[in-house]
Amino acid sequence: MSVATTTPTSRPAARSQVRRRVGRTAIFVAMTIMAIIMLYPFAVMVLISFKTNAQYLIGQGSSTQTWQQINSSLPVWQELWNSTVVCTLSIAIILVIGVMAGFSFAKLQFRGGNVVFLGIVSAMMVPLQAILIPEFVNIAKTGLTNNYLGAVVVYAALGAPFSIFLFTTYFRRIPDELIEAGIVDGLGYWGVLWRLALPMALPAIATVTVLQFIQIWDDLLVGLLFLQNPNERTITVGLAALAAGHTTSIPLLMAGSLVSAAPAMIVYLIFQRFLVRGLTMGIDR
Amino acid sequence: MSLTTSLAATSAPRRAPRTSLLTKRRRRVGVVLVLPALALVGLLIAYPIGQAVYYSFTSWDGLTTQWIGPSTWTQAFHNPTMWTALKNNAELLLAVPFALGIPLLVAVMLHQRVAGWKIFRSIYFLPTAISWVVIGLVAEHFFAYSGTLNSLLSDVGLSSVHTNMLGQENEALIALGITFVFSMIGTNTMLFLTGLATLDQSLEEAARIDGAGAWRIFRHITLPHLSRFIQLAFVMTVISAFSALFSLIFVMTGGGPGYSTTTMEFLVYQTGFNQSQFGTAALYGIILFVITALVGIVQLRLIGAKDS
Amino acid sequence: MAEIVFDQVAKVYPGGNTAVQNLSLHVADGEFMVLVGPSGCGKTTALRMIAGLEEVSDGTISIGGRVVNNVLPKDRDIAMVFQNYALYPQMTVAQNMGFALKIRNVPKDEIARRVGEAAKILRLTEYLDRRPKALSGGQRQRVAMGRAIVREPQAFLMDEPLSNLDAQLRVEMRTEISRIQRLLGVATIYVTHDQTEAMTMGDRVAVMRGGILQQVATPDDLYDHPANAFVAGFIGSPPMNLLNAVVDERDGGLHVRFGDQSVVVPERYRQSHRLDAYVGRPLLLGVRPEDLVAATGDAPGRFTATVTLREALGSEILAHLNFGGEEVIVTDDTTTAPAAHSSRVVARLGARAKVEVGERVELTLNPENLHFFDAESGVTLRGGA
Repeated sequence: MSVATTTPTSRPAARSQVRRRVGRTAIFVAMTIMAIIMLYPFAVMVLISFKTNAQYLIGQGSSTQTWQQINSSLPVWQELWNSTVVCTLSIAIILVIGVMAGFSFAKLQFRGGNVVFLGIVSAMMVPLQAILIPEFVNIAKTGLTNNYLGAVVVYAALGAPFSIFLFTTYFRRIPDELIEAGIVDGLGYWGVLWRLALPMALPAIATVTVLQFIQIWDDLLVGLLFLQNPNERTITVGLAALAAGHTTSIPLLMAGSLVSAAPAMIVYLIFQRFLVRGLTMGIDR
Repeated sequence: MSLTTSLAATSAPRRAPRTSLLTKRRRRVGVVLVLPALALVGLLIAYPIGQAVYYSFTSWDGLTTQWIGPSTWTQAFHNPTMWTALKNNAELLLAVPFALGIPLLVAVMLHQRVAGWKIFRSIYFLPTAISWVVIGLVAEHFFAYSGTLNSLLSDVGLSSVHTNMLGQENEALIALGITFVFSMIGTNTMLFLTGLATLDQSLEEAARIDGAGAWRIFRHITLPHLSRFIQLAFVMTVISAFSALFSLIFVMTGGGPGYSTTTMEFLVYQTGFNQSQFGTAALYGIILFVITALVGIVQLRLIGAKDS
Repeated sequence: MAEIVFDQVAKVYPGGNTAVQNLSLHVADGEFMVLVGPSGCGKTTALRMIAGLEEVSDGTISIGGRVVNNVLPKDRDIAMVFQNYALYPQMTVAQNMGFALKIRNVPKDEIARRVGEAAKILRLTEYLDRRPKALSGGQRQRVAMGRAIVREPQAFLMDEPLSNLDAQLRVEMRTEISRIQRLLGVATIYVTHDQTEAMTMGDRVAVMRGGILQQVATPDDLYDHPANAFVAGFIGSPPMNLLNAVVDERDGGLHVRFGDQSVVVPERYRQSHRLDAYVGRPLLLGVRPEDLVAATGDAPGRFTATVTLREALGSEILAHLNFGGEEVIVTDDTTTAPAAHSSRVVARLGARAKVEVGERVELTLNPENLHFFDAESGVTLRGGA
């Protein structure tokens, strides 16, 4: 439904151009309204966090008191650190495993490869809640529940199927000739992966990193169960815990929300284009 | 002009071995590269599913496991709470058309490339970066009795229509649904916008030259091309409705009032970790899995049928 | 000694598709051998088998006297130039060219020396620090060649390296490649579908069709003495005219009758082409476009035809003519019986020839250059080894 611009050559054409302009203005207005709706959460968070609880209840005034006191109610720095560590470790595992498997599925045909690929990709369909209970028990048995490792391993397993799918689609685009040139030049397939394919895969790596970062940083359920120790809590879980205690002040919750949301938003803004590319890479096979 | 010269062959022709060295190496490296992924997914996703099936037949409070057998399932199907949860899930599915339709509209508007559309796009996508926990908190504030919705209504002069949606049994779910739609707008708009970008301009132009109006172009050219994307968005949205919703529920309503916003995904958590009935929780998890698997399979069939 | 030998080599794919059948071919050290044929004829498969990128289903391939069926590509001491160049996008030209050496831990100064020399031969010296995406098609092609040259291998394998270039560049690069190959003296196997490239570049040319080697000979031999109707129609542009014909014994001499025309055949053909056995039997008569000349005086064996199309190329005029006969076009598929087509011949006339569309003209066949082929098998009737 894109609108091509043409130069009017007669009265009826001029009329349709006016109609078109009106249409575009209407669209602009609609989009502005939409933007206001979408920005609403951020506006709310900012406005309310700059009030004290008392001011909030009245609906008037602003202050930075909540922000100054945030650290006493919410171990912000500790939790931010926990979130960072968990994200970094999980993403590192996902990337290494994903690149290896993705390259193999894309370029190294072996017996049964297609079946394994389907199996791993279909794991995307498994909702966390279905495996949650046994998962928790298994991890608890190995003593990793109050340790970053338990959550990291679960996040890695949950994020791997989609990432492998992305990497496979991406590596498929590498021309076979390029790999053959490497073979003739003297590389083994292992060398082809790390010296030829990997440098070409930087966009895919960026995409996976952004997508998984947002996914893991913003996750509640896994963190809730696998990082129960307040020392290891992620910021998102910390926020939810804060909310669950019903005596908390709303401005505090909003401030906590902003803290929790900020890193993910920054990552998003920096890596915007990779996000779009990544989500749709699976579509044009 | 003879065909070939006879050969000064150094060895008599013999059968070559079946598989070349290169192929063998390729297969070996291929398998090795896949093993870590297989181990990770196998141990942490496939194996627990099997375990969940086993646990669903047991009564288990976290300390002792006691095998009961199929009666756990029949009991579950007689449990009104579970049916309430399923009903809630089903009702939430009514939000899916909105979660697809609104992003479609927004994507089409963005596709018009009106002035400043890139900024609009960034804004629309921004909520995808923030956690559903955060969205839930803001939504809770919005729908609260002293919250924004009511003050907006007051501003418009409808102060008599004040609501307390999250406190009313039949309204809480609606509030949840609205929040769910809001959360999905960013992702689905992104999806549809990319779909529109891959649409060949010349098709639209040819149609316009043939005299087709905007609506007709949309129906006969744009929509068919987008069908793959719409299907993908549908699957993703439905799966989210059955799993990601957890965060919203946890933060906004805690499943209440009563069980009116308890969905299957929340029920699993509640039964397992609040009521310590791990066997039953595993059972609910399996049901959840079956539902999402069915949705996925049906969708694949539809896509497969269209492509062939 | 870097000769390459195919010994009864076959390639069969798992589905049963036979890409190469019983190929036996010998490439001498330093020779420029061209594999040519229509797409699907097996030429690229044969090349890839030398490289080790395709498994050999049957038979053996030897490089430099050593059977290499079970040797990895990197150990075969060959270098390959791919159709789409396959340059490593993240590396500079210099790094692309030196990559194979770097892998083998050749010392850096040696790499720099070899790369520098190759760059000089290919006139790439000023581009050594650029990335492939900053290069034109022709430059990329030369980098691909440079990568092969630096290896100093026993043999070069080239897979249609010019097919992605525009026409003018192709002509330029043809001479470049020939020059470089002669300079380096390395055995080269060159695959193309373009018979002009084959004819201008090859020391010898191997024509393939449907996985089967049709003929291997010098370009001249291929042109003057094609072994079968397919080679006759494939080599030369415009292709040789092939006509359904019958040989008659009349007035004490041989006549060949095609369509509604009849022309005298010089007596020597009876011997050289064993025509006695074919009197009264259908066969294929082959006449190259330049061997159809405007009849002058009272030359024997003239026949008349109508001009249907006139292509003026500046240096010559190609006249398409109808004479109420049947022309034969040999197709690329391997069914042996050629299908009859509409009645056209193409004649190559001088630039000043005065022919107009619709005109009836009188032509003769040049009796020095007649070709006869068996109507069913397509094999030439010409006797000899």
